Amino acid sequence: MGENNTAGFNEDDVRTLDDKAFEDLYRRMYPTLKKYAIYLVKDIEDAQLILNDVFIAIWKNKILLINEKAYLFRAVKNGANNYHKISRSNFQHLEDDEVQEVIDVSADPFQTYMYKDRARMLYHLIDQMPERRRLIFYMYRIEGFSYKEIAALLDISVRTVEDHLVKGFQFLQERVLKNEAEFR
Amino acid sequence: MDQETWKLVLDYLSAKEQGKARELADLEERLQDWLRKDPQHQQDLDQALRLWEQTAILPDSEEWKESFDHIQISLQSEKPRQNKAFLIWSAAAAVIAIMAMFVVLNKSRQTALPVDQITWITKTSNPGKITNILLPDSTEIWLNAGSSISFPDNIRQASFRTVKLNGEAFFKVKRDPKHPFIVQSLNIQTRVLGTSFNIRAWKNSSPEVTVLTGKVAVSRDSAGVQSKAIHLVPNQKGICDLGSGLLHLENIEDARLAIGWTQGKMTFDQTPITTVFEVIERRYGVKIVTDQAFKACKLTAKFDNVSINEVLKTIQMTLDIRYTINKQTIYIKGGKCN
Repeated sequence: MGENNTAGFNEDDVRTLDDKAFEDLYRRMYPTLKKYAIYLVKDIEDAQLILNDVFIAIWKNKILLINEKAYLFRAVKNGANNYHKISRSNFQHLEDDEVQEVIDVSADPFQTYMYKDRARMLYHLIDQMPERRRLIFYMYRIEGFSYKEIAALLDISVRTVEDHLVKGFQFLQERVLKNEAEFR
Repeated sequence: MDQETWKLVLDYLSAKEQGKARELADLEERLQDWLRKDPQHQQDLDQALRLWEQTAILPDSEEWKESFDHIQISLQSEKPRQNKAFLIWSAAAAVIAIMAMFVVLNKSRQTALPVDQITWITKTSNPGKITNILLPDSTEIWLNAGSSISFPDNIRQASFRTVKLNGEAFFKVKRDPKHPFIVQSLNIQTRVLGTSFNIRAWKNSSPEVTVLTGKVAVSRDSAGVQSKAIHLVPNQKGICDLGSGLLHLENIEDARLAIGWTQGKMTFDQTPITTVFEVIERRYGVKIVTDQAFKACKLTAKFDNVSINEVLKTIQMTLDIRYTINKQTIYIKGGKCN
């Protein structure tokens, strides 16, 4: 152990981040984290900037975190908070649950059914859910966050999280049953 | 399955994942009670559990790549360096990470990703330009100006070769009876095995499919439900009326007229003048500005691959209009139609 280890933690806690690991981390985290950033700032381009700033910081520090998931979501949230401080004047908070409740009826079950891969078909349906519900679904099923963790990250109540998940699963079940009836 | 039951199922599943034995026993009992109420319930529950399982893995997608490339570009100019900021950052990061270890339950979730993945590739022809596309299955497509087409990158492996069209295109589909070729455009679906045909599906007009060779099935697509298909042979076209939504068949003299546009030709047959202007705008990449409605005004004319000036002169003589050209904008005035 060298004297230079001033940060006060054991080197075993961090591994060096190489190109491959960095790309891997980005690929794994992108789908949910990007949606989270969009949810927070309601602007796709700004969300992308915040997301990439977080990753650039990680890359520059060459650190692979033990709990990357918790860290990344927190970092994106901080990034979004700073963003709000800067652009509060022209920021308008959309109540997305009201705005985006319309489900795209043109997305057709026939095509959906053609996706041989079951998970692909399901995520095709999940992607049609309203923005917040979809994000919650990703955080819950893909990232494995608990109701409580999701509630904290989204600044909503645990009950709301649960409600979205229940309705999300209900929607999936209805659509899948409908598909199966049509193509039996 | 109602909301109450879904809530119960989700609670049950997370208690199971987190190994909360006492809660689990209680939830299981409530679930059993529910199952006993109706024999159908077992089936519902099985399906719910399948949905839970099947949503654990996100299908792979290439979406991340583009934004990752942006990072790469901004990083290339800066080499990673160790400095004071690095130490503070890493210390902070480590503290957060360690704290998070205590807070967040250790969930070892498999993030295995499926090997196959579908990314849609979109090609667009800008106004004034026709694009020639060769798909990986050797299908040839002429994409008319102002149109776009999307196809999945796995089109060679997929069981259906599906493409989505906005606007107009002429297809020469490579024959492959095992993998039908499907075009989705506006509210119609065209299904073929291997033929050549033209699809015209401009916004706000009735979509048309014209067959040059082979056999084509056209059906109306309403929210994914296909109507009974009509079958077309060469020199026939299928039209889906925009108003009534009904699909009908028309015999035509020469189907080749329908693909004249691939050689820069334009054919109008009692065509409303507003539609004529739209065609010209796309064909020559111009904007036509007029303050007149030109209602009840129709044009019958045939243009070879000629300059826009020639086209405008002809219309000027036929309809007695005046026009001025300013760069890409054409101003039209007068005309005996009004």
